[in-house]
Amino acid sequence: MSSVLAQALDAAGPQARLADCERSLRLFLRALWGRPVELKPLVALPGGPAVRRASFDETALRLPATWRGVPPGQGAALYRAVAAHASAHAEFGGPRFEVGTLKPIQVALVSLVEDARVEQLALARFPGLGRLWRGFHDARPGGAQTATGLMARLARALVDTAYVDDDAWVNKGRELFLAAREQWSDPGISRRIGGALGNDLGQMRVQFNFRTHVVEPAYRDDNTGLWHLPENQEPPTEDAEAMPEGARPPEEHSAQSDEQSQAAARPEEVAPGAQGEPEAASGPRLYPEWDYLIGQLRPDWCTLYDQQASAGDPRAVEAILERNHHLLQRIEAQVRRVRVERLVRLRRRLDGDTLDLDACINAAVDLRLGLAPDPRVHKLLARDRRDLSVLVLLDLSRSTNDPVPGTGTTILGLAREATALLAEAMMRMGDAFAIHGFWSNTRRQVDYFRVKDFGHAYGDLARGRLSGLQGDFSTRMGCALRHAGALLRLRQTHGRLILLITDGAPSDIDAHDPRYLTADARHAVMELRRRGIQVHCMSLDPQADDYVSRVFGKGHYTVLDRLARLPEKLPLLYLRLAG
Amino acid sequence: MDEFQSEKMTDLTAQYRIAEEPYYRPVADEIRLFEAAYAVRMPMMLKGPTGCGKTRFVEHMAWRLGKPLVTLACNEDMAASDLVGRFLLDGGGTHWQDGPLTLAVRYGAICYLDEVVEARQDTTVVIHPLTDARRVLPLERRNELVQAHPDFQLVISYNPGYQSLNKDLKQSTRQRFGALDFDYPDAGVEAEIVCHESGVPADMAARLVQVAARSRNLKGHGLDEGISTRMLIHAASLVAQGIDAQAACQITLIKPLTDDPDMREALGACVAACF
Repeated sequence: MSSVLAQALDAAGPQARLADCERSLRLFLRALWGRPVELKPLVALPGGPAVRRASFDETALRLPATWRGVPPGQGAALYRAVAAHASAHAEFGGPRFEVGTLKPIQVALVSLVEDARVEQLALARFPGLGRLWRGFHDARPGGAQTATGLMARLARALVDTAYVDDDAWVNKGRELFLAAREQWSDPGISRRIGGALGNDLGQMRVQFNFRTHVVEPAYRDDNTGLWHLPENQEPPTEDAEAMPEGARPPEEHSAQSDEQSQAAARPEEVAPGAQGEPEAASGPRLYPEWDYLIGQLRPDWCTLYDQQASAGDPRAVEAILERNHHLLQRIEAQVRRVRVERLVRLRRRLDGDTLDLDACINAAVDLRLGLAPDPRVHKLLARDRRDLSVLVLLDLSRSTNDPVPGTGTTILGLAREATALLAEAMMRMGDAFAIHGFWSNTRRQVDYFRVKDFGHAYGDLARGRLSGLQGDFSTRMGCALRHAGALLRLRQTHGRLILLITDGAPSDIDAHDPRYLTADARHAVMELRRRGIQVHCMSLDPQADDYVSRVFGKGHYTVLDRLARLPEKLPLLYLRLAG
Repeated sequence: MDEFQSEKMTDLTAQYRIAEEPYYRPVADEIRLFEAAYAVRMPMMLKGPTGCGKTRFVEHMAWRLGKPLVTLACNEDMAASDLVGRFLLDGGGTHWQDGPLTLAVRYGAICYLDEVVEARQDTTVVIHPLTDARRVLPLERRNELVQAHPDFQLVISYNPGYQSLNKDLKQSTRQRFGALDFDYPDAGVEAEIVCHESGVPADMAARLVQVAARSRNLKGHGLDEGISTRMLIHAASLVAQGIDAQAACQITLIKPLTDDPDMREALGACVAACF
């Protein structure tokens, strides 16, 4: 369902997405207010109206997962404006208002004044937010005297001091609001001023279509978090069916109270695990998968079969090393260099690279005294004890069988060659390493192959398995990364690194939304990083910059534009990372 | 002879004397506490995050007490002889060269070991006999026991935020010191400091301090340390040079602090919100 939905959304053209800026938004809110703010994506249900405004309550701030009509480039500013506004409600708002005898238009105006009140309080602390918010106020004087138009102008007049309006009602609203400046900390003024303005507007008999009214400008939330309606309370008597969308308390939809229309009318977070899955047996491993549309992990979603890779001919690996002996020499030189860089100084050595000043002076003193000098006058720059485990994870999807022009071999052939050289480098560096591979055939079958484990020697068996690797099926990266991380977590070393070699974006035949598995892989990478496991990706897809940077983060990936150079680049990458 | 000795002493410590009052804005009663500790020559440990004013405080106290201050920035490669001194060769034989610690012990200075955890632990132990009732510094090579000058005091600084398994103070070292906790001052005081050090107007300083407070909210949530007072002074001094405040914040606060693009974006948004 989620992918169908995503496709439907995609049909509307590129649009701003919460997922693109969610993390920086969270950081921004925590920085502003000094406390965490829960963010949740709002997704419109199929057949339901599009989500047009954010919403908040005591537990979370709900933001549209995508924003129709907003180009991606402007998404960050809009989401930031929304988040700053809604979190200002949380910071400066009082308890929810009682609707009581208020008419719907009064409810809308109380909300509007309350919006301005919390913004003014936030501006006192963060004046720069005004620039952010004012950018979205595009109401102008003049035009038809609709309530929607007037309210948008009032909204602007209350927060934009430079704005000049010619309407008496708008100016009255501004005067009332500014006159109450001293009481801005009291939410009661919103009710008083909003109630009075709503009354005026009612008497002016302006046109106001409640059904189509949406709170303006776009960064304002739908105001449902401001109002308290006890269950079963009758909605306000007049225009009861026609509360504006922006000010409709959740329970108010009694006219069409059957569940389906309720759900259609109120976009909700999609329930996690809606398509629940029977639990698998104990043998295969179950891993969750991240669904970016619902912003949740689907528990036990993927089934992974961990197995030994089938054996091939170890002599093939020998042949690779022989063929690349020049490269091997370079690697060896590089290893020596890296090892020297990580040095500790050992003093008073019989031999070493430099003289130990203190020891030399003592020796000279002894000589002059006619004593036998201590011959240990050198300082040795020794390598620091290494404490790193590296897990090399190979993408074995079918596309790795594609030939690479000009090399006479396939992508997998190159990856095998590169891994063989990498293994030599890792052995020389003295790091513990494992070589694993994976492919996937839907979430029900992720096959994970072990070529070499941490505890095992890199001998003929491992070399044989390396040369026996085949490519087939697809790339469900997140699941494989989670499993690799689980294995690596058992390692008691200080540094833990997963080096992923892949030729394409995460994909599988049961995932139609290209973003879905990419978002899952990103989630898996973030999770591993939180647990102190570094993940670095060597991508063999020259067009990969876009998604690999999203998945692995800047500085944590390398895109190889010339595949033929993989055998040379991979060991050097490792030496750079490990050195 | 005595006269000669005192003349020599003046020479050696003169360069360590602080002529002008280093600006220090007291936050609580740390000056009185330190004076009391100095009165009994108690070794002191100044704890706190980087750039919050520990070093400046010591300089100020040395000036206030009228004592020379010998500062040593500790590092991994520092050997005990770098602290206490070594024999050097000359034409006729050898001569002993006091290290900075020995100098302070002999002639009565305050010796400040900055970031003491950076020094190796076998180096740190040379201060042990100085920090208990003995107040002596054994110079084994020279076969000399230097009795500390009555004015000598040892002060170390220590940033608990750096704590890792191999960089922590041993209990046997810690327990020799009295400790003063330092932290970034309250917004008003910090703005006053930024103002004084950079010459920006008070409201600009207050806004910069706001930015720093935002970043400190993220400590442990993507940042190891928030923006320090020292960084704020950098930002403010660029502003005082006529640089746009947001640009100054980028250069001096955000970019040095983190390489994480999401974090930079979030901090950039905070800077924009504060100006």
